[in-house]
Amino acid sequence: MSILANKDTRAVIIGGVAGVNAAKRMAQFDYLINRPLTVQAFVYPPEAGQQKEIFRGGELKNVTVYSSLTPALQEHPEINTALIYLGASRATQAAKEALESPNIQLVSMITEGVPEKDAKRLKKLAQQLGKMLNGPSSIGVMSAGECRLGVIGGEYRNLKLCNLYRPGSFGVLTKSGGLSNEAMWLCAQNGDGVTSAVAIGGDSYPGTDFVTYLEMFEKDPDTKAVVLVGEVGGNLEEEAAEWLAAEPRRIRLIAAIGGTCQEVLPQGMKFGHAGAKEGKKGAGSARSKMNALREAGALVPDTFGGLSKAIKQVYEELLASGAIKPESEIDEALLPELPPSVQEVMKQGEVIVEPLIRTTISDDRGEEPRYAGYAASELCAKGYGIEDVVALLWGKKLPTREESEIIKRIIMISADHGPAVSGAFGTIIGACAGIDMPQAVSAGMTMIGPRFGGAVTNAGKYFKMGVKEYPNDIPGFLAWMKKNVGPVPGIGHRVKSLRNPDQRVKYLVSYVKNETSLHTPILNYALEVEKITTAKKDNLILNVDGTMGCILMDLGFPEHSLNGFFVLARTIGMIGHWIDQNNQNSRLIRLYDYLINYAVKPERPVPDKK
Amino acid sequence: MAKILEGPAMKLFNKWGIPVPNYVVIMDPERLAQLGEANKWLRESKLVVKAHEAIGGRFKLGLVKIGLNLDEAIAASREMIGAKIGTAEVRQVIVAEMLDHDAEFYVSIIGNKDGAELLISKHGGVDIEDNWDSVRRLQIPLDENPTIEQLTELAQNAGFEGEIAERVGKICSRLILCFDNEDAQSIEINPLVIRKSDMRFAALDAVMNVDWDARFRHADWDFKPVSEIGRPFTEAEQQIMDIDSRIKGSVKFVEVPGGEVALLTAGGGASVFYADAVVARGGTIANYAEYSGDPADWAVEALTETICRLPNIKHIIVGGAIANFTDVKATFSGIINGFRESKSKGYLEGVKIWVRRGGPNEAQGLAAIRQLQEEGFDIHVYDRSMPMTDIVDMALKS
Repeated sequence: MSILANKDTRAVIIGGVAGVNAAKRMAQFDYLINRPLTVQAFVYPPEAGQQKEIFRGGELKNVTVYSSLTPALQEHPEINTALIYLGASRATQAAKEALESPNIQLVSMITEGVPEKDAKRLKKLAQQLGKMLNGPSSIGVMSAGECRLGVIGGEYRNLKLCNLYRPGSFGVLTKSGGLSNEAMWLCAQNGDGVTSAVAIGGDSYPGTDFVTYLEMFEKDPDTKAVVLVGEVGGNLEEEAAEWLAAEPRRIRLIAAIGGTCQEVLPQGMKFGHAGAKEGKKGAGSARSKMNALREAGALVPDTFGGLSKAIKQVYEELLASGAIKPESEIDEALLPELPPSVQEVMKQGEVIVEPLIRTTISDDRGEEPRYAGYAASELCAKGYGIEDVVALLWGKKLPTREESEIIKRIIMISADHGPAVSGAFGTIIGACAGIDMPQAVSAGMTMIGPRFGGAVTNAGKYFKMGVKEYPNDIPGFLAWMKKNVGPVPGIGHRVKSLRNPDQRVKYLVSYVKNETSLHTPILNYALEVEKITTAKKDNLILNVDGTMGCILMDLGFPEHSLNGFFVLARTIGMIGHWIDQNNQNSRLIRLYDYLINYAVKPERPVPDKK
Repeated sequence: MAKILEGPAMKLFNKWGIPVPNYVVIMDPERLAQLGEANKWLRESKLVVKAHEAIGGRFKLGLVKIGLNLDEAIAASREMIGAKIGTAEVRQVIVAEMLDHDAEFYVSIIGNKDGAELLISKHGGVDIEDNWDSVRRLQIPLDENPTIEQLTELAQNAGFEGEIAERVGKICSRLILCFDNEDAQSIEINPLVIRKSDMRFAALDAVMNVDWDARFRHADWDFKPVSEIGRPFTEAEQQIMDIDSRIKGSVKFVEVPGGEVALLTAGGGASVFYADAVVARGGTIANYAEYSGDPADWAVEALTETICRLPNIKHIIVGGAIANFTDVKATFSGIINGFRESKSKGYLEGVKIWVRRGGPNEAQGLAAIRQLQEEGFDIHVYDRSMPMTDIVDMALKS
């Protein structure tokens, strides 16, 4: 037997992430004692309609999230308990709704920091409706062998260590979540375990009091004794003492009270729980609570350490009197183990999993991403720049200062070209049509191809081939290209020529050759090629794509990464164009008729369909 | 409980129509001179100047000056602002009009589990302690407001007569409104004074506690609660409070000067039992500390370093019950880092560390902290089979 929660308890959890985590813990207990899932539904409007995955052992259950309590209860009429995991500002309203729902008999409020006035109102409402309100700031309710509400009881291993898979003879009442676990452990170690454990929460005005639960334990024939962990402040312990003394009670009471240290501490020192207000020697002090309980007949050790002995003593007395029959121990080997997760098994080296993908550049498993092994923040701290990050992620090596200066210039020089070229133009049309930045920029990006900016890779590739296959035979190279490829990628410009050279190309070539010590065989080869092609036609110059491709090859970048430099650099420009058009609130573009040659058939009647 | 200073309390009184004397809170004495030019009452009334800080026994410390004219008030604030009292510094003073009055009364309201209780007495001021029998009480159930007639009757029972009883009743009614609407936990007005010539009432001094958990519904609360420990917070306490306000879970820290046993304990309930155990065995605690709700390891690390820096400590108790969801391994990694860092800075010389803990990942957490033994720490590690507070006994016997 138990109090508050039992085999018939079915719960709704009102709240987000913390509530889902609690449901997972509760499902572990369900699995341990082989009962169906306790949590039937979640209520959390921001995630309404979602399914939360809850494992009961190895079995995956989906629990629906509802936008409010009403539909949750309509679909799950078996729900009789609500757990509140919302933040303090919303928890009160949720608890009120839950209390007012006819099917819900118990509301357990886990939320901490609920204003006192709200807690008092909820308590009053619960009393008027004849419902139970446990908490706020409760860790939950544990009924051994029957039901777990909340994370009370801790991790799976602890559930077993504390014998929570089967009922014992001790009830546990605490204000503190941590101490409810400790008390359950003491009952398992020194006695035969617990019936139910209730953490009422450490706030000043909890929804229920010790006496309410003592009454329930008194009526539960399986509970023979109750371990109560109280503390300085309030008068719940004094009430418990009065209750105990009022008439002969069936259950024994063992109590530990915290806060005697306040007798010697500076005045006003406040302890962990809000309810543990200063109470020197007078009423509400730990000492007066201990005395009141002792006088009423409870067994009260001087310190928490004495609790073990007191429980053992009571247990042995109950055994001797025949009130308790010794429990035959359950063979722990018969209890289910939680199925391990793949991660755990892998850690033990007991399973081999073939990875789905492989990465060789970055790793985000630590405190921050590492680029080819280097922490991003350290790179920043040591003065590295975006060009070094590009080199690490694209080429997996950290460039020298000279090399990164070259990369930086390549990106700077090719960042934009003005609105006329297809990439910028595509972006501008997108911006004027009102589409968002990523779409408009990718519209521009799709223009990058063999005729616009997409020749970087191929330029690098073929000039490298030339260096290798036709080192001293440029006509041979050009003949091979003509036969197998067509126009040489990286050679030729629509508007620039020998007489009207591209300043960017001139600068890059001169910078690399005169101001760095980079060895440039591929660039040199391309310049030799240019000498021959411009002799044929003066706009067959080495263009920006070609120059970039050769230099990047000389820098040792992988061939297929080269177009990326153009994509990256132009993205900067295209974003600029998108912002620019938006700043100007540009109107929709419609092409003027005179820019179109309507080379169509003249107007004529539509024939009847045959 | 969150105690607030007199200035913010007066502001809330004003908001709800409880009469207060004219007052200003200033940080700069020159500002008082400027305000004097603009406000007639500053020039024409006798003034009181009080240090506007949470410092106990201000009168004895010379931090309350009465019966001043404006120039004297400026001089007094110049003297007070910047004064250091122990670890505290006076940063603000409150300058209020000193009201000539004929009588001092007492009015207070204190929350309890069924609502609140209103107390009034005709014998306010310093006499209240000696005249506690004269106090009349009225329980005000939650969400019920007594009528002015009921309150007037209460005032009459307390010995107030005629119009004065009515006025006291009205002030009580506003006090209840203020208490209720401002999520107050207690308000004490002592003294409430009256000048009979013009029937002017004023709350001359107030102690007010508000429910800091309710601050989410009080956008106009432009104040912070002050230290309730009878002294201002130390720098280390402030630092831990700052961290506490930023994290999930909590870390708490209060210094107790002169203690030899430092507490690095987990859980609001268990931490108190550890402090009790130290005191019960004749030891002295150097601090109260607590972490709970699975705080981030860096927050626990900061708490650990703060505790290691406490002067004259001989033992550190890393105690706790069997946690429900606080990850022992993760929080202990913060504690371990804190210990290592502190030791490298020269702390922990001759300090013994005692550990007892259980909970999620306890085996890994305890194994990790046990390794500190090999690094030369005087550390003693126990698991759940050691009764919770027995490490305190072992520490104090060692």
